[in-house]
Amino acid sequence: MMGAVLAKRGRSSHILRNGGFVALPLISLIWSLADPTLGRELLEWVPYLASGFMMNILIALSAMTLGTLVGVLFGILALAPFKLVRYPVAVYVQIFRNAPHLVLIFATTYIFPFEIMIFGTYLPFPDWVKAVIGLAIPASAYVAEITRGAILSIPTTQWEAAKGLGFSRNEALRWIILPQCLRRSLPPWMNVLASITMGTALASLVGVHELLHAATDASTAVRRLDFTVIAYLVVMTAFFTLCYPISHLTRRLEGRFNAV
Amino acid sequence: MLSKAPLRALVGLALSICALSATTASADATLDRIKARGTLTVGVILSGAPFGFIDPKTQEQKGFNLDIAKGLADDLGVKLETVTVTPPNRVQFLQQGKVDILIANMQYTEERAKVLGYVPTPYDRAGGAAVGRKDSGLKDWADLKGKTACVSQGSNYTQPLIEQYGAEVKALPSQPESLLALQGGNCDVAVHVGATVGLLLQDRPEEWKNYAILFPTELIPSDSVIWLRKGEADTTAALDASVKKLHSSGKLLEFAKTNRLLKTEFLQQEQKALSAAQ
Amino acid sequence: MPDFDVIDLFVSLTSRIGLNYEFLATGYEAQIWRDGFATTLYLILLLIPVSLVFGLFFAACLTSGRLWLSTPVRAFVELTRNTPTLVQLMFSFLVLNTFVSSLVGGTQNNPLSAFFWVVAVVGLHIAALHAEALRAGIEAVPAATVEAARAIGFSQLQVLRYVEVPLALRASLPAIVNNLINLVKLTTVGNAIAVSEITYASIMVWTQRDNVVSLMIVILLFFSLVNLIVARAGLWVERKLAVPGYGL
Repeated sequence: MMGAVLAKRGRSSHILRNGGFVALPLISLIWSLADPTLGRELLEWVPYLASGFMMNILIALSAMTLGTLVGVLFGILALAPFKLVRYPVAVYVQIFRNAPHLVLIFATTYIFPFEIMIFGTYLPFPDWVKAVIGLAIPASAYVAEITRGAILSIPTTQWEAAKGLGFSRNEALRWIILPQCLRRSLPPWMNVLASITMGTALASLVGVHELLHAATDASTAVRRLDFTVIAYLVVMTAFFTLCYPISHLTRRLEGRFNAV
Repeated sequence: MLSKAPLRALVGLALSICALSATTASADATLDRIKARGTLTVGVILSGAPFGFIDPKTQEQKGFNLDIAKGLADDLGVKLETVTVTPPNRVQFLQQGKVDILIANMQYTEERAKVLGYVPTPYDRAGGAAVGRKDSGLKDWADLKGKTACVSQGSNYTQPLIEQYGAEVKALPSQPESLLALQGGNCDVAVHVGATVGLLLQDRPEEWKNYAILFPTELIPSDSVIWLRKGEADTTAALDASVKKLHSSGKLLEFAKTNRLLKTEFLQQEQKALSAAQ
Repeated sequence: MPDFDVIDLFVSLTSRIGLNYEFLATGYEAQIWRDGFATTLYLILLLIPVSLVFGLFFAACLTSGRLWLSTPVRAFVELTRNTPTLVQLMFSFLVLNTFVSSLVGGTQNNPLSAFFWVVAVVGLHIAALHAEALRAGIEAVPAATVEAARAIGFSQLQVLRYVEVPLALRASLPAIVNNLINLVKLTTVGNAIAVSEITYASIMVWTQRDNVVSLMIVILLFFSLVNLIVARAGLWVERKLAVPGYGL
């Protein structure tokens, strides 16, 4: 009987989840159709808003790439046998894991120069790149923690067992330890991805031309109250459509890994 | 170990940041750079018509501020490049060198003149207008004591509102948010540059039918000037000449009319005075 | 005034290494900044219980097995988890607040302030995260334990209150502490709607002066310290509650 109840709950929440996935876009669509003048205004702004949203995606992907590279390196360094290496990494992780994303974005935007001189030529250092760094810093701190945790979670007996089976140290790392680390750290890594993706909206507060900023520009130009409302709805919808599949996939992966 | 950790971090952070700020501090003569690059980089604010807004069809920036920027670039014989700024970041962008000059609804104040340089000939005169509900019963700036006033972050109305009139100030990221906060009832009045809110009330009478500009006088009416980094005499002189030309040729007045500025008395006076001087 | 001398000394010492804290010697800006710290701490102290209470409530709804309870909560959890908190906050403060005003018959009757909306949006967002952690904990309680409780005559609510929640709380405590650290960080979004927490106060100072770096260092250390305390307190509670021989 328990099983039946659980199965029913599972199915209904599945329908609900997928229902939720289309409900938000649907509301925005119906509303904009209900008032044709509003719909037309919105349609006019769609390219502008879309260009803003591309910026969010660009910032999120770049920040995650940078953050993951640095984070994995730091995660390995955090286990180094030298205090001189371990302590600074621990301090970095401690400070930046606990720092609000917004504060880091403010810091990178206002502290970094607007251009950098490399070999005598000025290279522009645009705002969105600063936002990328501002978000890559906390991302790298989280990824360092995840990497460290994943490596520590593999029991040392596995190294010994691999050795017993005739694997060299590198082979054991490549074929036995790393695949397990990767599998364990994928769901938390995707949580970081979702969190960083949503963090890109904060870049609007320092004037990066991303979706929320574009929506503010649009409502400034249109100056209609109902347009402002729908502009915010569109922003919510866009982020939801992007982040929901990520978190849905994360949950499925978590479920599958826990089951194995 | 833990007690040492924050200390180390402080030292590390301070060192890295000092190194960074050292690279930004080296300012060069702005005018040389404008000429060398062939572009004038102007920080403009998009706070809405008539000063600056985005045209959805072309996605171009339009407005009075943009026209002035174009006029100046033409006069200097260089291309124009604009950077959108917001009230909380405009001074930082100027100090960093990201923009050469600011045409961003910033009026002359003594406080600002301490940290920034400015072009002595103003391009307009503006003061703050308070928008509020018609039934609010507020008659004068002095009535704002203890009332909530919404402004933009970094607005020059913050200090007089607090210190002179005893109002409680809430600073929002930009003007649209502040006006929405007013409509939502989170503040008694919203104080912004008179021309923008005046035009808004005029263009959207239906949405704003319960609201009006409450006081006949403007808050700290002062000259709208172009701001630049401190101590750049050559740039200041070149821009001042350009602004004077824009005045005397009647171009500024023309810009004001095409962008529907509500009050043009100041510009008319300046045009007369400056064209007579020539 | 000895207090003033300390500030003067600090300002002159820090100015030697290129940092600018001159505003501390002025009345008005120093006051804003000190109030900023106080407001942030007040927000955190208020939000922790708010998020925990609602988190518990949401978790109870999610695991109740009743669709009319779990459906709206599930929908809210998905919405709040998958949209940026800043956008939620702007939407609530600028749009929902206007609706509330028209519902109660005019803005003058609307008692909801920006501060309320920060507490509501951040509190409920973290509550949703707590609820997910607790739900996982509740579902991990062995079926046999629940059956045993039922067998000795516990009602469903009693099972929840005396069996499932105490066990789930222990299992999900690390996740909850993690959420609380996020809560501390999230209080900074308040600056977008003019809640005078520390980042807002700092913006007010640095838009008038050019001392972003100096303020940033203090803010980063402040948040690091607060979160260190939260994490330590979490560990202490975890140890205090640990049941010998169960789970952990």
